Parts: sequence; structure tokens; C-alpha cells
Amino acid sequence: MNSGVSNMRRGFLLCTVLLIGPIVASGAEKTLPHGDHSRNGWTIEQLVALINEERTSSVLFVETTYSSLLTEPLVSRGVLRFLPPSTLEKEVLSPYRERYLIEGDRVTFESERKQLKRAISLEDYPALRSFVDAFRATLTGDAVRLKHTYETRLDGDRRKWWLLLQPHESVEPSMVEQILISGSEGRIARITVRSTGGDRSVMTLSGGHAP
Amino acid sequence: MSVRRWVPAIWLVLMVCGIWYAATRLSIHNDLGDLLPEGSTATQRLLLTQVRTGLSGRLILLALEGAASDELAEASRVLGDTLRADRRFGFVGNGAQAWSKEELSLLSSVRYLLSRTVTADTFSEPSLRNALQQRLDDLRSPLGSMIKESIPGDPTGEVLGILQSWSGWDRPEKYRGVWMSADHTRAVLVVETRAAGFDVDAQEAIQLVIRKAFHHMVQTAHPTVRLLMSGPGVFAVEIQRMIETEAWWLSTAAAVLVLLFLFFSYRSLTLVLLSLIPISSGIVAGMIAVNAWFGFVHGITVGFGITLLGVVDDYPIHLFSHMTTRDSAKAVMRTIWPTMRMGALTTAIGFSSLLLAGYPALAQLGLLALVGILTGAFVTRWVLPACVLPGFKASGIGMDLLSRVDLTGKKTVLVPLVLVVATSAWIWSDTPLWQEDLGSLSPLSEDKKQLDQRLRRELGAPDVRDLLVVEGVTVEDLLQKAEVVMTRLEVLRQDRELAGYDIVSRYVPSHRTQQERQRALPDRAVLERNLEEALKGLPFAPGLFTPFLAAVEAARSQTLVDRDAFAGTMLGMKLESLLFLQQDRWLAAVPLRGVVDRTRLADAVAQWRDGSTSYVDLKEESNRLMTAYRDRTVQLLGWGMAAITIVLGLGLRSIILVGRVLAPILCSLLVVAAVLRGSGEPLSLFHVATFLLVIGLGLDYALFLNRPEGTEEERIRTNFGLLVCSTTTILVFGVLAFSKIPVLHAIGMTAACGALSCLLFAGLLARKEVHIA
Repeated sequence: MNSGVSNMRRGFLLCTVLLIGPIVASGAEKTLPHGDHSRNGWTIEQLVALINEERTSSVLFVETTYSSLLTEPLVSRGVLRFLPPSTLEKEVLSPYRERYLIEGDRVTFESERKQLKRAISLEDYPALRSFVDAFRATLTGDAVRLKHTYETRLDGDRRKWWLLLQPHESVEPSMVEQILISGSEGRIARITVRSTGGDRSVMTLSGGHAP
Repeated sequence: MSVRRWVPAIWLVLMVCGIWYAATRLSIHNDLGDLLPEGSTATQRLLLTQVRTGLSGRLILLALEGAASDELAEASRVLGDTLRADRRFGFVGNGAQAWSKEELSLLSSVRYLLSRTVTADTFSEPSLRNALQQRLDDLRSPLGSMIKESIPGDPTGEVLGILQSWSGWDRPEKYRGVWMSADHTRAVLVVETRAAGFDVDAQEAIQLVIRKAFHHMVQTAHPTVRLLMSGPGVFAVEIQRMIETEAWWLSTAAAVLVLLFLFFSYRSLTLVLLSLIPISSGIVAGMIAVNAWFGFVHGITVGFGITLLGVVDDYPIHLFSHMTTRDSAKAVMRTIWPTMRMGALTTAIGFSSLLLAGYPALAQLGLLALVGILTGAFVTRWVLPACVLPGFKASGIGMDLLSRVDLTGKKTVLVPLVLVVATSAWIWSDTPLWQEDLGSLSPLSEDKKQLDQRLRRELGAPDVRDLLVVEGVTVEDLLQKAEVVMTRLEVLRQDRELAGYDIVSRYVPSHRTQQERQRALPDRAVLERNLEEALKGLPFAPGLFTPFLAAVEAARSQTLVDRDAFAGTMLGMKLESLLFLQQDRWLAAVPLRGVVDRTRLADAVAQWRDGSTSYVDLKEESNRLMTAYRDRTVQLLGWGMAAITIVLGLGLRSIILVGRVLAPILCSLLVVAAVLRGSGEPLSLFHVATFLLVIGLGLDYALFLNRPEGTEEERIRTNFGLLVCSTTTILVFGVLAFSKIPVLHAIGMTAACGALSCLLFAGLLARKEVHIA
């Protein structure tokens, strides 16, 4: 019982930590192919429209986390789901089970290992919010909103493209340095999030379909 | 003659000085706390301290509504930030408040002393491994990089654990980073004022700050948003203003009516103005006396005291009624003075019993009335006649009409009949004799009370009502006791006997507990070995946890934490209200929330038998307190009556006459009490205090009616004077009886009924042979 309480309590860390500071995530690949963002008339508007068109409701992912605290990367697998207009779900299936459900402003966090379920407000974590915004905007074909949150740069062509997102400097400081999304046609292949600390996470989407 | 000149001149000079003094030197307070008694038991004293300065009294609950959720969230954020910048607020909570960097680093430096999860097991190899694995999970979660920084120093997550355990009450749901009602139609905020909840002036200033900040925000953005405010301080201001407004316009209405009535009765503006001389002197003298004695005059004393002093207006009326062209005012005064003196003296005795009530509110009223009545009588006797021009005679149609009414009726048989009816009405009424629930005296509408309840629920703010009190000889003693109480309360909470509680031990452990935790910390070698084992197979960088090893080592011999370590922080404020010194005893106040069954809770606490913890139902306790003061006032009323009887006996030198004077008063009190009860109005402290006024009026009427009159004309004049007196009184208090404010209504109703029945009984019971003689 005692250790159960202690487990639960530690499980709250994730949420509590957010009370006290800024936030999140991981970096993008360093090598960024050069090129004009509108080569061959290939624009962000076209890209997001295409992604929106070819979007599927769920997709499997493999996420690799690189951190300066670690000697080797951590790997987790799971499913990403998206239900328009704004419900986003990340479910980790291995090596542990965990679920983040983002509906509007509400983030529900559920962890089997930590025996806890908890709801938090996305607004409390500005960086997470801009991150989520990027996904929502990309997945719903909303280029205006995407450009509102990020400095965008599109490289490549329709067959193989790279979309680089960098938070506007004017926006409140976030721990996200950049997000690089790459793919082909309307399919997202990989999302790399790079944080200001130099850590990064690389999420490879299998099947190549947007969630 | 010269007296005619210099007496009014001296009076005028004194009056001007008095008014100048009152205007410049009088300190008028509006802190309701000042009116509260000291309390005679420890619980009462605690209750009164809590009421005066306690945390729950200082909370103001706010809600923003009337716009879309996103807009409300933004508005809450703006309002919260504005208020946080103001020193008058100790704490502003809207969900967006955060710990400052300094506070966090302070907290972090004492984490191993404060964390409730620190045991010997925390640093065993399996526990460490479990913790480390969770940190790995954290690192790959979407929120990983936020936790990252704290991992090397605090891999077991003590700081976050402490913060979690401090978040205390179940907080409201958050939307866009701020607290919202469950249906997202209201953003809710709670502010803690530094000023006491009952300090009406300070509270009003603070509430004005909030309203201004809100209006400023509404003007720049969010035009549709509405602001709701509630809480003890808001109520105190509202009640005070309601009473002031209502008392003001009711008194104005009453005064206009009385002046008009006097004018039509005497057909003389001069006379109406002259009648103001004694009462205005009485008011000024009374206020100065109260200020000199108590150091301040309470706003409520001013309002009610002036009303009670209305009886003084009877004195000039008697004089004018008896004046004829034949006799000078001075001569008339000499003939009626013995009767008037007796009336003033006995009335003053009645009011002076309030001085002994031990209840500042009543004592102030008593002193004001005492000094006011004596001054008024004195001025009527010595100043007023000198102001009346010789040959002045009041006359008018009113006099002719009223003189036809014969007060001293022959239908004495009516008296027992009325008494029987009154007694049976009294006995058979279903209405409880006494008003036991203070809440019913509150003029607040049901809507306001419900809004308060709703906001309190939505915010998870403590109820103002339920409290545990833990006593200790020293802070350490108290903290040790409070730790035991906390574990017991936790059991009650898990049994759903209550929804939550707040206690000092949640934040500051006793030295004993801190030392226990220090002993549980392993030495560096052991910790290093355990950590090394726990890290096996985990991909953490080598040497990563050196800060952790150093922190644990340092904590083993660290200075223990005291409550003043947090002085000046958000937490410091809170601690002051949870732990304080009262008369050489350290007390911990433990506000409870959502108590399901108060009797069951009281039983449960009683069964702890620790001798230092008690459950206080503040509502019950304050009702009990008021009841105690009411009983005391009733008792003093009895003693006052006894004193009046003795003085009457000495003055009138006739037991029969004393009987004739007192009988109508006692009959009137019975009838008034029966009327009140029969009309479904249980008696409160305010009714009882007004009985004193009724006694004063009754004395005045009965003494004049039983005065040996020389001629039929004099009898008619006395009758006329009494009719004018009682009509003015009934007008004044009849108007008050229409007040929606229970206290004003109680006073008005009692005094109006009392004046009427005193007049009737005094007439019916007066001796009839006099005018024949």
C-alpha cells in the first residue's frame, strides 16, 4: 500500500512538473536539405491540403528519444490517432502502456505503470500547446494557423518534401527549437522534434499514412 | 433680561464647539469586528479571533461569466495578473499562479526534510530502481524535457511530490490554464486580502480595487464579461451599506414626517426648530462621550443611537404643549420639570444597563442614549425656556382636534381583556420564543447566499463554518499534535466524512519528524552503493547523479526548517493563518471542507480523546455567543427595571403611584412581545434592546398622565402633548418597521408597537380623580 501511494505520487510528476516551468520536447535533424520553399510551385498550402486529403484515422509509430542524460536512445512504440477537428491521441504500447488524449484544451494522461489518470490544461504548457497546434494545423490542412504559430520553410518537392517549423521568436519562450516533418505526397514519414537543450526525439510513422 | 441673551449664547458656543469637535476629532469606525465582544470562553475567543482576522474571513471569491470560455480564460488571466501586482492582496489564485524561482529553490534546498515520502526505504536499491525507471519513462514522454533538469539532483522526485501534496484542496478544473466551473461558463478566482474580513472600510477599498481592475479590463477588451463577487468581506460591506442606505432614507422619511406633523400640530415653524435644540444637543454630547470612552464611535452606533434618542424629542413637546400666553416658558418648565426629570432619570437608568452588557455594540448604544437623554433633558430645562420669546404661544387646529381625545378613558376593564388575549397569543403561538439562528438576521438575499455556496464549491474553498482547533504549549508541541490529527483526518477523508482539510502539518513538519527523516537518509557510501546497483542496465550517463548524492549527504546534517523559513512567501501567508499564538497558547486552525454530518464528526473528534483538539462549528458557536449576550441583556433589563422601580419609589413616594407608572409599561412589554411572537417573529437581541426604549417611552407617558394636574385645561394640554409625542415616535419607528433589513425592522416594529401600547395602557391605568380635584 505504501509503495502504491508512493508510486502514484511519483506518477504525478509529469503533471506537477508542468506547474513549475516551461516545457518539452526534442529536436530536428541537423541536416536540412537546401532549397527554395516553393520549388516547382510546391507550397505549404498544397502540402497541408494533400496531407488532409490522405489522412487516415490512425497510424503506428516508433519514437526514439536522444537525451544528454542518456548513454543510449530510448525507443517506444504505439499508435497515433487523430479525430478532426482537434482530438489527438498518442498511445504508447511498449515498453509500457501510456495514453495522452488531447481534446481541445484538455489533456488526459493515463498511465498503467503509474496507476494514474489525470486531466490537465494544455494552456498551462505553452510549448506543448504550440507543438499540438502544429499537428492539428498540419493534419487539418490549416496553413494559415500553421504559419501563425511557426516560421515555416518547405523544401523538396511533392515526391519528397521537408517541412521545417520554428517557433516565432515573439511568442513566449518555448523549449521547442524546431520541428522537422518529412514525407512524400500526402504521407508523413517522420517527425523530428528538437529541444533547446539539444535533446531530440525522432518519430517514424509506419505505413507512411498520416494519423 | 440678560439670561435670555447669555444662556442661548453659551449653548450656541458649546454647540458649535461640540459640532466642530465631533466633525474633526470623532473617529468613526466601520469594522464590525470592533463591535464584537471579547468572548468569555477559550472557544469563543478563538471564534472571535477567527471571525475578526481568520483566513476564511479574508477570502473573496470571484467569478467571471458572460462570454465564451476562451475569452473568460483570458480575462481571468489579465485580472489575476493585475491583482497580483497589488500589495493589498496576499494571494491571488486563478489557476495561473505559479511558484517563483526563489520559492522553488528554497523548497528544493529542504526537500528531504519536508517530503512526507522520505523513509529509509526511499533510498533502498529496489525503490531507487523503480524511481529511475519512472524517470526514463518521463524522459520519453511528450513532457520529458521539463522534468529533465530536475532528474540529476532529485531522481526520487521529492520536490514535485511536495508540491503535489501542497496543492491541497481539490482544485477546480482548468481550462486554458485557469480555473473554470465544470461547464466552462465561469472562470473562478479566489483572492486573500491582507485586511480582516470585517474591516468594512478596508474591505470596501479592496473591493473597489477589484472592480476598477475589472472595469479597466472590460473597457480594453472582453466587453461582455460580468464580474461576480462573494465572501465574508463582500457581505460585510454589502450589509453595512444596505443598513446605511436604508437607515438613511428611512430616517429622512421619518424625520420629514415628524417635522410636518409637529408643524401641523403647533402651526409654528419656530416651535419646530426649537424642538430640535434638545435632541441635537443630546446627539452631539452622546457621540463625544462615546468617542471619549471607547476611543471610537461605530457607524452603527451613530445610526441606531440617533434613532433611540428620538425619545428626547418628547421633552420640548411637553413644554410647548403646556405653554399658554399667561405663563412664561420658564414658569411652565418649573411646573413640569419634576415629572420630566423623573422620566429622564429613569429612562437613562434603563439604558445604562446596556453599559454592563459586556458587548461593545450595546455598550456604545447605552452610553450614547444615557448621555444624550440627560443632556436633552438638561437643555430642555435650562436652555430651551430662555430661547422662547415671551408671550409666545403655540396654537393651532391640531390642538383643538387632539384635545378632544381623552386618553384617560374609563374603560379600565379593557386592560385585563387585552392582557388575556395577549397572553394566550403568546402561549399558543408556534413561533419559537427566541431567534436562535443568527443567519436569519442577515439581510442578504437567498440568491447571494446561494451564489456564495456555488462559488465555494466550484473553487473548493474552505467553508466558513467548520474548524478543528489544536492547542499546544510550544510550536513544536503543537506541530507534533497536529501531525497526529492530520493522519486521523486523512482517515475521515477516506471514509468520506469530509471532503478536505487544510492543516499546518501539510506544510511544516515538527522537528521530531524532520529529525526522523534525517535519520532515514543513508550515508554517502550506502547511497552510492544502492544507486550503483539500481543503475545497472539503465542507460543513464555515468556520474549523472552526483548532485543527488551531495544533496542527500548535506540534508543529513542540515538545519531544521521552521515556519518562519517561509516568511514573505505565498506559503508564509498561509502558515500565519493556520498557526498562531493566542494568549500564551499556540493554536492550529484546521479549516474543514464538505463536512457530511456535523454530529458524527464532533463525535469522531471527541473519541480521539487527545485533550487538545476540538471541533468548532463556527455557526453554532456564534449563535451560542449571541444567545449568551441576549440572555445577559434580558437579565440586565430586569436589573434596570428594579433600579427604575427604586428611583420611582424615592421620587414619587407612593407605592400606588409607582404601580400606576409601572403597570402600563409591564403590560405594554407583554403585549409587544405577544404581538411580535403572534406575528411569527422570534425575539432577538435587537428586540430586547429596543424594549429599553419602550420602557423609557412608557415611563414618560405614565409619569405625565399621573401628574397632579391643576385644571381641566392642563389635563387637556398634557393629553395633547402625549398624543404629539407618541405620534412622532410611532411615525419614526413605524417607518423603520417597513425596512427589509431584519434588524431595523425589529427595532421599528418593537418601538412602534411599544409606543402605542404604552400610551393606551398608561391612559387606561392613569388615575382619574386628579382633574376633578
